[in-house]
Amino acid sequence: MIAVRGLCKSFGGLRAVADLDFVAREGGVTSIIGPNGAGKSTVFNLIAGTMRADAGRVELGGRDITGLPPQRLARLGIARSFQISNLFFGLSALENVRLAAQAHAPRRDFLARLDRADALVARARATLAEFGLVDLAGEPAANLSHGDQRRLEIALCMASQPRVLMLDEPTQGMSPAETLAVDALIRSLAGRVSVIVIEHDIDLVMSISDRVIVLHQGRKLFEGTPAEVSGSSAVRDAYLGAGHGAA
Amino acid sequence: MPAASLVQRLGAAGAVRRGIVGWIVPALLAPALALPWLVGDFYVRLAIEAFLLGALALSVDILLGFAGLLSLGQAMYFGLSAYLTALCYLHVTQSFWLVALIVAFAVALVAAVLGAVAIRAKGVYFALITFGAAEIAGKIVHNTRALGGSDGLLGIPVPAIALPGFDLPLRSNLVFYYVVLAVVVLVYLAVNRILATPFGSVLSAIRDNASRVPYLGYNPFWYKFFAYLLAAEVAAAGGLFYPLLRGFVGPDLFGFEISTQSVVMALVGGVGTLIGPLVGGVVITFLQSVLGSYTERHLFVLGIIFILFVRFLPGGLFSLLRGASARGRAP
Amino acid sequence: MLAYFHFVVLPQVIDGLIIGVALALVALGLTMIFGLLDVINLAHGEIYMIGGYAALTLIGWGGGYWSAIVLVPAVAGLAGWTLEELGVRPLLPRGDRAVVTLLLTFGVSLVLRDLAQVIFGTETYSIAAPVSGVTFFAGVPVPRYRVVVLAVGSAAVVLTWWLVYRTRIGAVLRATAADPDMTASFGIPIRLVYGATFFYGCALAGLAAVLLGPIYAVFPTMGHDFLVLAFAVVIVGGMGSILGAVVAALLLAQVHGLASLWIPPVWAETLVYGAMLLVLIVRPAGLFSRIGDA
Repeated sequence: MIAVRGLCKSFGGLRAVADLDFVAREGGVTSIIGPNGAGKSTVFNLIAGTMRADAGRVELGGRDITGLPPQRLARLGIARSFQISNLFFGLSALENVRLAAQAHAPRRDFLARLDRADALVARARATLAEFGLVDLAGEPAANLSHGDQRRLEIALCMASQPRVLMLDEPTQGMSPAETLAVDALIRSLAGRVSVIVIEHDIDLVMSISDRVIVLHQGRKLFEGTPAEVSGSSAVRDAYLGAGHGAA
Repeated sequence: MPAASLVQRLGAAGAVRRGIVGWIVPALLAPALALPWLVGDFYVRLAIEAFLLGALALSVDILLGFAGLLSLGQAMYFGLSAYLTALCYLHVTQSFWLVALIVAFAVALVAAVLGAVAIRAKGVYFALITFGAAEIAGKIVHNTRALGGSDGLLGIPVPAIALPGFDLPLRSNLVFYYVVLAVVVLVYLAVNRILATPFGSVLSAIRDNASRVPYLGYNPFWYKFFAYLLAAEVAAAGGLFYPLLRGFVGPDLFGFEISTQSVVMALVGGVGTLIGPLVGGVVITFLQSVLGSYTERHLFVLGIIFILFVRFLPGGLFSLLRGASARGRAP
Repeated sequence: MLAYFHFVVLPQVIDGLIIGVALALVALGLTMIFGLLDVINLAHGEIYMIGGYAALTLIGWGGGYWSAIVLVPAVAGLAGWTLEELGVRPLLPRGDRAVVTLLLTFGVSLVLRDLAQVIFGTETYSIAAPVSGVTFFAGVPVPRYRVVVLAVGSAAVVLTWWLVYRTRIGAVLRATAADPDMTASFGIPIRLVYGATFFYGCALAGLAAVLLGPIYAVFPTMGHDFLVLAFAVVIVGGMGSILGAVVAALLLAQVHGLASLWIPPVWAETLVYGAMLLVLIVRPAGLFSRIGDA
């Protein structure tokens, strides 16, 4: 579904992503893991239009989407969440989700009276219900607990009915119980959308992924099923080697 | 979560806007309608001026309270509209409708060009560009003999508005007052309607968290752009009548004082409420007039009021109505 | 042709140089405050005005010009420091401090300007220059006093540069500008740094007022008029850049001065604003980068 070919990005002298190739197939969950500084967030930013690549291509279903701005990518069906919750904090949870759903409503409704757009509100409520947030519909997003905010992040993405869902460390700061809930959530979503996840929680990754891509110093170190990845000595060395003060 | 910014806190007022319209607007309308029968000519003319400057403050609110853009140059469109109006009545036509059309078109053109440029700039730079543009416009007018130079244009004839069947002679204070009141009410209702739409909701989103908006699929540029055009036309509505009230126009109509005064009015009334700036306009105008008769130090008092509001009541007078809740509730 | 250059252009260039140095002093204060605190001090012009009136008062009390050169910057600095402590400091934690402090300092500028009118009236007062007579530079007559302005002003600019880039205090300033939280965690009292910066920046404006007093006189709106020009300088030079403020000040003063030779002076001012607008549109960050940026 999403293909990345020869992607490169440097910041000054630092090569964050170097000649990266991978394919995240349609349907199912692809996880991107790697030690700190491996370039995971940068890759996300390059795919999602937050940054421009120095070189390389990004393709969506075979179509070249390299360098397109985020609003174009959103319209093409790519939705991304943020590692640090990037919600509309002053607006209610319902309004957050409604805005996301509204973006995919037909153009000609844009000057219609807001309080008559019941269909949109109903759809937003349904999305909130799916994420267990419907009781908090009227609450400003700022008032939500951390775990609820992380789930609202994902709800915001799903409200636009994307083809590809990119989750940037969705369980960041969550308790084990909350993480388990997200585990189940992602698995339930996987049937409808292609999911690409960046995660640090290895257990979660092993549990939900169909495929795992391991990055190390901006390059793809290994790609395979969860079982293959845990069995790989190269991967083990990369994770452990980083902590053992080598050159 | 980042520390609450002024625009976020102010904008929360917008969430209750529709609740307010219900009873506040009729409550304010009653005394406004009755005014000419209660006070003398001087106060009627003062009220007209207050409404026109209030429209300018409303234009500030559209940008600040909804798109999260601080414009320090709304006087640009007020001045542009006023000068064009004056020139038209002096040299071109006495037809109110023709002048209104010309002004609307010219303002849209200038706003489109300036807006396209200014909106690309972030935060503070937008404020500075709008400020700089208004200053330059003022200076050019000031330096150009043909436009009256520093003296401005004088002796502007006051027309009668042609309607099917009868004329509205603006020369009459009474008629002028009700016409301006009607225009301001219409503008207010129109803006309210335009912002109570998906378009308006995206503007509120931009104000709340501009960085997230593109990821939802909206191109923020166009939303800000149309908000800017709308604000320019609202400011121009004020400028359309101002020369007729005074009989003259001067380059200070483009000036920093007028721009910042409109921001003060919006702030004092309540940014994000739309009705607040209009009320703020009335309050500030009358305050300055009353103080001006007691002392020459009205600038001083204006400054103090402003400082106090920024520091202690950034939500303006209307935030008092909303009670303790500092954050908005769901629409 | 050469005579034209010699007797018309060169004097204007010299004049522009002198004005540019004083302008640089005012712009330096503005840019340091913005660079460090993200605060746009719209009352800076009124601080300059306070400097002018302080000089007037001091000399009126028999103080003499040279005591004014020393004391007035202290007075102006104190005024700036007070503004920072009482008005700006409470607003610093906000995410939009640039906007809010802009509004606040605007209110303060209104108040100060009116206060000056109350206390001193609206007339224009002049300050006597401490030296008179004329000296010659390359055959061009230059009032001796202007040389004084050039000398003192340049010394202040160089002092500022030295303080910021060659002393430990300056290193602390730059570190705070780059990353206040990090610097604070090292035990540096950043609130003191903020207060001191405001003091110093406003002291520079006060100095400029004393220097320009004998040339441009003292009146209530002197700060307001000068501020817009100072802003143009800060924007063109790059908000927060010391080098930028100096370069842009000299540049724009020359542009303004030379332009007045060939076009009506009022248009020269418009030209400067036009330059400012152009920079804002094309390269909003200005010519140079901010203190604290690499």
